[in-house]
Amino acid sequence: MNDDGGLNLACDQLIVGYKTPLHEPFSFTVEPGSVLAVVGPSGCGKSTLLATIAGITPALGGRVIIGGHEVTQSPTHERRVAMVFQEPLLFPTMNVRDNVAYGPRRAGLPKGQAREKAEELLGWVDLAGLGDRPVDQLSGGQAQRVSLARALAAEPRVLLLDEPFSALDAPLRTRLALDVLEAVQRAGIPAVHVTHDPAEADTMAHGSPSGSILSM
Amino acid sequence: MTAPGWLRWAWLAPAIFIVAFLLVPLASLLARVVTPETLDYVADPLPWRVAGLATAQALTSTALALVVGLPMANALTRYRLLGRRWVLALATVPFVLPTVVVALAFRALLGSSLGTGFVIVVLAHAYLNMAVVIRIVGARWSTIDPRIETAARTLGANRWVAFRTVTLPSLGPAIASAAAIVFVFSFTSLGIVLLLGDSSTRTLEALVLRQTSILLDFQGAAVSAAIQAVVVGSVLLWAAKQGASVASGGTRTFRLVQARGAARMAVAAVAMVAVLIVLAPVASLVWASVHSSSGWTAAWWSALFGSTTIDAGSTRIGSPLAAMGRSITFALITGLVAAVVGGLAAMSVLAHRLGRAFALATALPLGISAATLGLGTLLAYGRAPLDLRATGLLVPIAHALIAVPLVVAVATPTLRATDSRLVTVAATLGARPSRAWWTGYGPTLRTVMIAAGGLACAVSLGEFGAASFLARADGPTVPLVIARLLGRPGEASFGVAAAMAVVLVIMTTTLVAAVDRGGRRA
Repeated sequence: MNDDGGLNLACDQLIVGYKTPLHEPFSFTVEPGSVLAVVGPSGCGKSTLLATIAGITPALGGRVIIGGHEVTQSPTHERRVAMVFQEPLLFPTMNVRDNVAYGPRRAGLPKGQAREKAEELLGWVDLAGLGDRPVDQLSGGQAQRVSLARALAAEPRVLLLDEPFSALDAPLRTRLALDVLEAVQRAGIPAVHVTHDPAEADTMAHGSPSGSILSM
Repeated sequence: MTAPGWLRWAWLAPAIFIVAFLLVPLASLLARVVTPETLDYVADPLPWRVAGLATAQALTSTALALVVGLPMANALTRYRLLGRRWVLALATVPFVLPTVVVALAFRALLGSSLGTGFVIVVLAHAYLNMAVVIRIVGARWSTIDPRIETAARTLGANRWVAFRTVTLPSLGPAIASAAAIVFVFSFTSLGIVLLLGDSSTRTLEALVLRQTSILLDFQGAAVSAAIQAVVVGSVLLWAAKQGASVASGGTRTFRLVQARGAARMAVAAVAMVAVLIVLAPVASLVWASVHSSSGWTAAWWSALFGSTTIDAGSTRIGSPLAAMGRSITFALITGLVAAVVGGLAAMSVLAHRLGRAFALATALPLGISAATLGLGTLLAYGRAPLDLRATGLLVPIAHALIAVPLVVAVATPTLRATDSRLVTVAATLGARPSRAWWTGYGPTLRTVMIAAGGLACAVSLGEFGAASFLARADGPTVPLVIARLLGRPGEASFGVAAAMAVVLVIMTTTLVAAVDRGGRRA
């Protein structure tokens, strides 16, 4: 899915927070196809770390590097770091297919091709045939899978996951965790997965080659 | 739900009120319209030309209200800001100001540079109606998760594209709905166009008034009113469809966003501009009430409270104090009638199988302009054999009719939000149906009725259109006195009118603030 042949994500002395740092500076590298699981209690700055990597929150110091290029000052939409949130945050005025086609459309793909790509991704998350459905008619697990498909369809260079399973029940969590791990390896991109659940962090880190855990 | 038996018949009172004071007047109007000569009147180009002018004016007013209101809706309902609630309340003030007061304020502020005509009318309409945009669109905006735009940005959309592709489509129905309402208000405007307009800003409403009071051409007036009713009805119907999809949106509101950097400056700037826009006309009104060409003066205020009549040469305006007393009495009757009728209507909407249809019926007066209503009432009850004008009740009845839809709109959602299981709980604890119902809904109903009644009072205090048809020449309300004073030359007329307008501003805003506070406590 990714033609870049896999780029790594590196944070170099990255300081995150609003006005004051929330944590010691972060320095780590995540290799293509592997997952860095960040675990810690709520309020410790996990989500702020993701927001800073995505460029939603400005870094207080240090650098974010993707594939050897520094992106610390780049705006969010130029970084190609797709994010899956705790809630699916699907676009309510679009159907399932157009939600997934959103990223390809922004990358300049014509509508038809973007939709084909969306269908492919929907098939991959086992939601083939649901493209026409309004997003408010999905179950929680389906919505989160659409959200994952939407992130992957954008062909991101990095996948950021902000407690994406916490609103789901246990069987769904396991299912979706496997989906994410497979997706990351297939796409050959680095992923940062934030969770407050140590067991989930363990699953994600050890489910991928050279995955690791960062405790906060 | 275990509803008490009497609740099933609660719809009767509002139904009788609507039939008697809305449908009967409309029927008398219709009886006037449908005659063999009607076609000649319909073929008359005048009302059509006026409708065209009013459409152009209303479209421009709507566009300006959106341009001004949308950034305010965004800044004031989505971002953390010092004094945000205060600015939001202030931005709503113009909407509750009587139209004659706004007209006077704009004349005081811009009259010397803009004179009368299209520009100042459009500005005044945008001023009056920006609160409609802020409230309706802001309410929708606050239910859109701010992170959804963030999600779009992580998928490659820049800020503008994210807004255009994700947020704007969600806001669309709310914007359409607000635009329709602003259009209708501007299209049927009377006070503003009479006091600030010229031949380019005529409305059918003003034409109806002229046809009935000066030309005594009742049939022509009825045709003009009918054309207006058709336009307004179509636009409101379209708005109702949009509103249905507004209602289907989420009801959860999200935490206010802390803007940073340039965005923070922009939010603060928009809030400051909002404060300036709202206060400038009001400030110049106050200024005009204490100023004459020779400097500071208390003459206008002492004329207001001192003399018994204002001598106006050939016409006597009547005592300002008497007009104030009259306006307050009318307002109190209006508040009482509207609260009872509207309250019963809201309860029926909840309890009855045909509730939705009934809710629509009570909203009818919204679609009928004040002039149409005034003219119909005049035809039905202003002449022998049934002349109610002498009783002085026609004005408050017409005002109550205008206020009932507001009361229903305020009361129904609040009552609906009340947990109906409380009634069941009370019933299982041994309460009889009426008692159980009152235990569940009583506390809400009481607060809502007081708030809605206060709102109806405020509507009545400032209402101009229906009153100009129905008030007797020797019994004008405060807005009518202000309009008459403005129709005369001289700085004394202007000064006294400004002083009266200030009193009206204080009365209206105090009422609305009290209602708002009471409502928030509920």
